[in-house]
Amino acid sequence: MAFQEKSAWIMVVALLLGGAFYLNLVSSFSAAIGTLAPPLLPTVIVYTIILIVVAVIGHILIGIMTPREANEPLDERERRIFSKASSFSGYVLGLGVIVSLGHYLILQDGDLLFYSVFASLMIAQIAEYLCRIALYRFGAL
Amino acid sequence: MGRRLPITNQVRTLRERAGGMTQAQLADAIGVTRQTVIAIEQGRYSPSLESAFRIAREFGVGLEDVFGWQE
Repeated sequence: MAFQEKSAWIMVVALLLGGAFYLNLVSSFSAAIGTLAPPLLPTVIVYTIILIVVAVIGHILIGIMTPREANEPLDERERRIFSKASSFSGYVLGLGVIVSLGHYLILQDGDLLFYSVFASLMIAQIAEYLCRIALYRFGAL
Repeated sequence: MGRRLPITNQVRTLRERAGGMTQAQLADAIGVTRQTVIAIEQGRYSPSLESAFRIAREFGVGLEDVFGWQE
């Protein structure tokens, strides 16, 4: 498995863990107050810290296992994979933002707008890394 | 995603003819990762013209001896 594919798997795990933590926190807080909890900066900070910690530890581990590959620049196929995955992720994010804005126009709920845009960002990032993995494994470029 | 590309190649055969050159050795020689060489051999990646020339030069053959076109 290529270093960059391992890296993508780590990021998928980090994003899913961070996302699960965030979703769990918001849903339990919302259940406690009986309505959708407003977005809070500390929860976003903790989400970001989880993401960074998992990503850094994961990359250190794969860097130790394959130090030579870790220091190699992307080759021409990898650059194409990254470019395609980034483009796909952009569409996912764009779609999420459009849906969120449409939702806001109908419901006029700023909290929900924050959560839906934030979720779009998370989903777009996960989609980017999954797309990279798929292209590494099955892509015909 | 699983489609095959119209460009065929003889990279694997040429590697075997070149004294069993490994995929990693070829990858180092042409400046790509081993996974890219694997993808080229499996017909899942069409290398750039520059890499195609590098591969051909590595085996001391012409470009058309390495790559072909299959509709």
